[in-house]
Amino acid sequence: MATAHPPSSALEATSAERYQGLRMFMANKAALFGAVLMAIILFVSYILPAIFTDDKFAYAGKRHLAPFSENGPFFGTDYLGRGVGLIVMHGGSTTLEVAGFAALLIVTVGAVVGALAGFYGGIVDRALMKVTEFFQVLPGLLFALVVVALFGASTITIVLAIGIISWPPVARQTRSEFLRQKNLEYVKAARSIGASNARIILRTILPNTLPVLIVQATLTMGAAILFEAGLAFLGLGDPESLSWGYYVGLNRQYFLVNWWGVTFPGFMVFITVLSLSLIGDGIQDAINPKLRGR
Amino acid sequence: MGIGSTQPLLSIRNLTVRFGTFTALDNLSFNLDSGKTTAVVGESGSGKSVTALSVMGLVTLGTRAEIDAGEILFERKDGSTIDLLQCTEREMRSIRGNEISMIFQEPLTSLNPVYTTGDQVMESIQLHQGLTRRSAKDKALEMFEMVRIPRAEKVLTDYPHQLSGGMRQRVMIAMALSCDPKLLIADEPTTALDVTIQAQMLGLMKELQDQTGASVMLITHDMGVVAEVADDIVVMRRSKVVETGNVYDIFEKPEANYTRALLASIPRLGSMTGKSEPELFDLVLEANER
Repeated sequence: MATAHPPSSALEATSAERYQGLRMFMANKAALFGAVLMAIILFVSYILPAIFTDDKFAYAGKRHLAPFSENGPFFGTDYLGRGVGLIVMHGGSTTLEVAGFAALLIVTVGAVVGALAGFYGGIVDRALMKVTEFFQVLPGLLFALVVVALFGASTITIVLAIGIISWPPVARQTRSEFLRQKNLEYVKAARSIGASNARIILRTILPNTLPVLIVQATLTMGAAILFEAGLAFLGLGDPESLSWGYYVGLNRQYFLVNWWGVTFPGFMVFITVLSLSLIGDGIQDAINPKLRGR
Repeated sequence: MGIGSTQPLLSIRNLTVRFGTFTALDNLSFNLDSGKTTAVVGESGSGKSVTALSVMGLVTLGTRAEIDAGEILFERKDGSTIDLLQCTEREMRSIRGNEISMIFQEPLTSLNPVYTTGDQVMESIQLHQGLTRRSAKDKALEMFEMVRIPRAEKVLTDYPHQLSGGMRQRVMIAMALSCDPKLLIADEPTTALDVTIQAQMLGLMKELQDQTGASVMLITHDMGVVAEVADDIVVMRRSKVVETGNVYDIFEKPEANYTRALLASIPRLGSMTGKSEPELFDLVLEANER
């Protein structure tokens, strides 16, 4: 049970609920670990660059200087003698922003299309699903390559390219959830108290599809980071901001003499995707009323 | 029923509803008097639920159903009479939950699992009465106490899965009555509950009806339930009304063969004495004689 005594005000009720959710999240060791990882990642990507304001492109020592060596930067230098640590910390914000905005775009478009198609059915459904199929059969990487090559490699074009090719699975998942839920008894009940379509979509059904959407959001964020890394690896990154993926790509040809140039940014990508999926799992449990208060 | 009395609350006249080529309601007509419980009885597929959904204006929603003919006249709270079939969707929304509300068969699934019971009752109140959250909550609490939910204040913040089936059905009834409707449609409200809870629920509905003066359209296939609470009966079979009348008349001297067969289908204690297995009786044959 949620509380031992009845809450005396609406404020107390909602704060008790939030607290329960938070406690649920904290009790999940894996999710907590993910949150700590994410805190570290954010610290490295947003706080550290503000402290170490040296020019990341500046010469920091001899080329291929191994990490932890005496008279070089802590994380070694790359093939041009730039500090690997400095570039990785400055590249974090680009990577995370691309992933975040791409996931936001993907989930928003996917949820809207899926909700409308699933809820209204009929001609609306068929039309929207045809559009979805069209985007689904596009060869993803190739299409993104063309978009970025045509419009230039800026953060916005990369986000759009990733978004355009990745929303169909989210739309399909949301649609199938809506198809299933719209015939359930409580939707009928909502209608019988006089709720409008908009209200039923937004207030009655959407909260019930949140678990699916959250999983999709964390998965697509991970996928977007990898996709951005893939694009950047192929040379279609923003050279000004040197995201992690882009930097792995730059260092790849020196891999045999310089393992740290690919390992550190690659490791950052790895722990970011890991922490996102752990956090996603935790949130999913925390918002599930049935698991709350155990 | 309703003969010679004042104007009925709800009057269904010559209603015909088709699903493609199948006729779900065939020229259906009956009246519902205000302040009374009218039981609509019949076997599965006889059109009971379609009748209820037609009154709610939900029958054409997401189905292939078409309303071919007829009218459903309803006397509104302000005293005016309207044809529910001619209403715009907007008008219907202001009637649903406010003047006509409905409770469903499955209390286990008719509450939204992600909201607290209090939130759901308050939603209905806020939709129709324009109250603040604060006073909607007071009203919800009052409703919970009216349907005799113990520790009502605590239950307001509970999620549906924390409650038993009987309690959930009470919440549904509280929700349905929260705007003081003139007509409550109960679609097999006790079918999913066990027998002791059924009796409680029927008793509660009866009491609440006396308290609020609402009319109840009770949809059921259980003649036992009918005998318990109904004032009037509408017997339906194969999309048609077979017989209507006062509950005493119908139980005493049913006119239609089908009604007789339906009444005979209630198992009686001791009716199997001296027999090794239940006796078969041909409901279809008997009713077809008519």
